[in-house]
Amino acid sequence: MKILVAIKQVPERDAQVHVAADGKWIDESDLNYTINEPDAYALEEALQLKEKTGGEVVVVCAGPERVTSTLREALAKGADRAIHIEADDLGSRDTLGVAQILADAMKSESPDLILTGLQSDDLGLGQTGVVMAELLGIPHATIIMHVEATGSGLKVKRELEDGWFQHVEMPLPALLTIQSGGNKLRYATLMGIKKAKTKETKTVQAAAATAPAIALDRVYLPEKQKKTEMLTGTPDQVAAKIVEKLKFEVRVI
Amino acid sequence: MVDVTLAAVTCAHPSGTMLFPAMWVSATLAEPAHFSWLETGLLAAGIVISLALFFWRFGPILRNILHSKQDADFSLHPVGRRVWDFFWEVLCQGKVIRQRPLPGLAHAFVFWGFLAFALVSSNHIANGLQIGFLSPESSLGKFYFLFAAAWALLVAVGITGLFIRRFFVRPIWFGKKVSIESGWIAFLIFLLMVSYLGAFFVSPGGAAVKALWWTHTLTLLVFLPLIPHTKHLHLVISPVTVFLKRDGFSNIPPLSGDEDFGLVAGKDVTQLISLQVYSCVECGRCTEHCPAANSGKVLNPKEIALGVRSYLNELGPVSDVALLAEARPETAFANLLSMEAAFECTTCGACEYQCPVGIQHVPVIVGLRRGATNTGVWEDTYGTKLFLALEKNGNALGLSAMERDKFIQKEAFPIFDGTQEYCLWLGCMGGYDPKGREIIADFARVMKYLGTTFGVLKKEKCTGDPARRLGNDLVFQTLAEAGLKAFETAKVQKIVAICPHCVRTIANDWREYGIAPEIEHHSEFMARHKDRLPKQASGESIVYHDPCYLGRYRDVYEAPREMVRQAGTLVEAPRSHERSFCCGAGGGLAFLGEEQGERVSHIRAAELAGTGAQVVGTACPFCNTMFRDALAEVSTAPPQLLDIAQLTARALPKMQETGIMDQGTGEQ
Repeated sequence: MKILVAIKQVPERDAQVHVAADGKWIDESDLNYTINEPDAYALEEALQLKEKTGGEVVVVCAGPERVTSTLREALAKGADRAIHIEADDLGSRDTLGVAQILADAMKSESPDLILTGLQSDDLGLGQTGVVMAELLGIPHATIIMHVEATGSGLKVKRELEDGWFQHVEMPLPALLTIQSGGNKLRYATLMGIKKAKTKETKTVQAAAATAPAIALDRVYLPEKQKKTEMLTGTPDQVAAKIVEKLKFEVRVI
Repeated sequence: MVDVTLAAVTCAHPSGTMLFPAMWVSATLAEPAHFSWLETGLLAAGIVISLALFFWRFGPILRNILHSKQDADFSLHPVGRRVWDFFWEVLCQGKVIRQRPLPGLAHAFVFWGFLAFALVSSNHIANGLQIGFLSPESSLGKFYFLFAAAWALLVAVGITGLFIRRFFVRPIWFGKKVSIESGWIAFLIFLLMVSYLGAFFVSPGGAAVKALWWTHTLTLLVFLPLIPHTKHLHLVISPVTVFLKRDGFSNIPPLSGDEDFGLVAGKDVTQLISLQVYSCVECGRCTEHCPAANSGKVLNPKEIALGVRSYLNELGPVSDVALLAEARPETAFANLLSMEAAFECTTCGACEYQCPVGIQHVPVIVGLRRGATNTGVWEDTYGTKLFLALEKNGNALGLSAMERDKFIQKEAFPIFDGTQEYCLWLGCMGGYDPKGREIIADFARVMKYLGTTFGVLKKEKCTGDPARRLGNDLVFQTLAEAGLKAFETAKVQKIVAICPHCVRTIANDWREYGIAPEIEHHSEFMARHKDRLPKQASGESIVYHDPCYLGRYRDVYEAPREMVRQAGTLVEAPRSHERSFCCGAGGGLAFLGEEQGERVSHIRAAELAGTGAQVVGTACPFCNTMFRDALAEVSTAPPQLLDIAQLTARALPKMQETGIMDQGTGEQ
């Protein structure tokens, strides 16, 4: 089975994030980047499928030069090849735009299965995978906890709400978006890193960005809403004011 | 049959020399006056056969050692240390005697006796070849043969003692298997001595002289081929092993080249390792002191050495077959060198410290782990979690770096900016663990009280110690390089840390990737300033636990004790100093799951609580964390558990404490 895994590079979890001067995105200087966590699980699922059924795992990532470190890490963990879609302007592309350049790079590979994380740790839109499936014209399933290859297709386990799961059979080729925590991640090994040096990373240029349908207006840190008002007066007066506020402002009594 | 003979001879010889020094007893050794050419021919043939048998057995061993991979990092430097080790450990038998006085002395007698006998035996054989060079009548001969006779007596007594110990006392660490060969060897040594001493009791020229001479000769000729076949091989190679052993304590050698991932297969076994495992004399000192072997684990350090030896004997030094037992179930020694055993080691180094023949167990065990971890063969839920935490969060506890930032803010620790004297290294425990934070905070108070300026790094990652000891070179290298860079960027000159593991890793293990600034443990820092720190008059009894990485690894035993004496009355644990028993946390094991068998920490905690001391004093946050639960488990009224920094800081004047807060002094 030929499996493509679309991964994204995101700022490290505990990074101290600051809003950039233009207020349109975060300040990227001084940030460390890592693989998007759900994508790490997608990669793990792909590697385990390959271990069971054989085939090839190819990782695909769009972004500037720095994303090659994440691709290398994926190769070290066991992916066979990597495709780097060179694009320095991901911020100015919307989900459709990003899905488009990923789909373009994937099409010529004619994969049996495409996996990606169900959402990204930075934007958290959860749409890229689904839009890609639409662009490639293949069926998809989201929030996948477990994948099993049957003779001709797949059996997948979807996570629903409230502790419910849905088991679905689907044909190939297909696209799945993978939920975090379904598998145990593997650690990168020295041998993996050394082998990764000999593995192929293909670089392709992203098509020029078209005008996005959705534009980011403003990025800001959560604003504190709590306001404290000190009530003054004698205890009787303060009590009366509290009752009034609870009755007419908070409306709980 | 062996027993009977021994008993008979043992009785005979003290009665001859000590009680009835009359009649035929002479101060001169009786030697055969004449050898016929037939006898000389027979002797020559005997020597050839004996030597041939010796090399027939020793040859393959030597080949295995020489054909093993070369140690890329080997250097004879420092020669002075090697000469000293050889003098002290081999010639003086210092280690053998010091760590096991009675059997050690018995062994030393046998060894020194053998040295004394070198000249005697050479002359003995030369006589038979009609080229004898030392006449018993000459003044040198008179003296030397009597001198050797005294040694012969000591050897006979020594070997009898060792025989009784091995076959009747049988300490458990000898293992279940009774080594019959050892009995034969002991018997032969005994016979050598008796047949030599006997020559002082027979009248010269008689048939008895010849009979004794031949008995002695044949014993020698039989003894020689037995050496390479048995653990008595150490007679030949352990002096070399002691001289050549890798410099430093428990030093993990760097990997060499792109194909080296540690000890994966026989081809990865280096010459030093081969030499060491063939030197093993199976005395079981390593087993006796091993926390794993003493708490019902699979690991037995002796079997690590014997496992590698069996591998080399069966498969040779260039084999591609995996070293770890799990991957070669069909081999005859599949019970040795299991991955399970390799990952039970706390790297406390007690085995290596004790080994009298220069075996360095820890690099071998860590080498096996490297082979498994660097290739991804080791799959362990906790281990993987630890590695991912180190990869992602840069600390072993898997917490967000923001937690450390908050702690630094809360304690108002200054950030190191190059103006302060010391960089205070927090470490994972000091930065993230609640108890470790208390220790760091108290040590910071001590530094402030002393007026020593310090700052902490803005960002700090784990030193990589657990990754290093669990064999993950990728994570270790990443962290070591990041750490070296952080110190360089911040222009740090001197570091002080509360964790002996951090100190060891930064000072020694990082050398593979660069030179870190000078680092010391807080016990060393405080001991140096102890005259300016308050002495406590409480007289509280404090039992001090030597952390492995401070004691055996760094040779710091006195500094923390001085601080304990400053705080109360020092009580020594039954096992202390270089014999200290591990808390169970080292080697990354603090982060792995539940142990097999008894918990190492419980054994040690019970020992410490058993001293009746009011306080257990520690000098390592890992020991501290292990004993926290263990003491409560093993004792109904557990002693207090305090780090030496806490023991010191509790006596500091309160004013100082409020002064640190930079505010609120008016409230006092």
